[in-house]
Amino acid sequence: MSKSKPSGLSRYEMLFIVPNNYTEDEAKSIVEKVESIIIENGANIVFHEFWGKKKLAYVIKQNHYGYYSLCEFDIERNALTKIDRVLRLSNEVLRHQIISIPVVSDEERLTIKEKQTQASKKEEKEKPNNKEKISKVAERKEKKDAGKAELKDLDQKLEGIISAKDLL
Amino acid sequence: MSNKKPKECFYCVNQLDVDYKDVRTLRRFINFYMKILPGDRTGVCAWHQRKLTQAVKRARVMSLLAPTHK
Repeated sequence: MSKSKPSGLSRYEMLFIVPNNYTEDEAKSIVEKVESIIIENGANIVFHEFWGKKKLAYVIKQNHYGYYSLCEFDIERNALTKIDRVLRLSNEVLRHQIISIPVVSDEERLTIKEKQTQASKKEEKEKPNNKEKISKVAERKEKKDAGKAELKDLDQKLEGIISAKDLL
Repeated sequence: MSNKKPKECFYCVNQLDVDYKDVRTLRRFINFYMKILPGDRTGVCAWHQRKLTQAVKRARVMSLLAPTHK
């Protein structure tokens, strides 16, 4: 969308979590509700994205999972506090975080995502070459993958044996 | 230790902005106990290291990253 923004407004980004005791459709309707609240306060929504159900890194109010949703909008600073208050009182939103961000066009947003994935891919390629760089997490991941591969081989062998017996 | 990871800044090299939503890259700069690594360990330039710590903390608030190892 347009890169320019009306004067007096600033670009903000809000990530919020809808608790897991709703179904996905209900969660989506809640997201729409939240967005309508934002619009009511004189905001202009530029971009929104529903991430879907994700596991939370830690338990929040006995919720292990949550629906993440992202929303970017232009708004005045004063109106922002109103939105913040409403969402903090709401039980339908588990947690939210509003952050001011630089103005980004849709094309730039795509390139940023591409860059992020490319960078992480590059890293994976580099890692096996020098052992010093391998972090503990990566090592464990590799081990897990190796374990999975072995299991798969075993499964295949087992299946082969079973089918052979059936034939006999 | 001075001889640890003398390399260049990850964000400058890849021309990326630090993003708290990009957990996959943030993971690189965190140790097993989910602690933020110091700048001399991450190899990230001072400017990006400041952004990085901010981003990790934001990710923790939104439960994208755990605050500690279990």
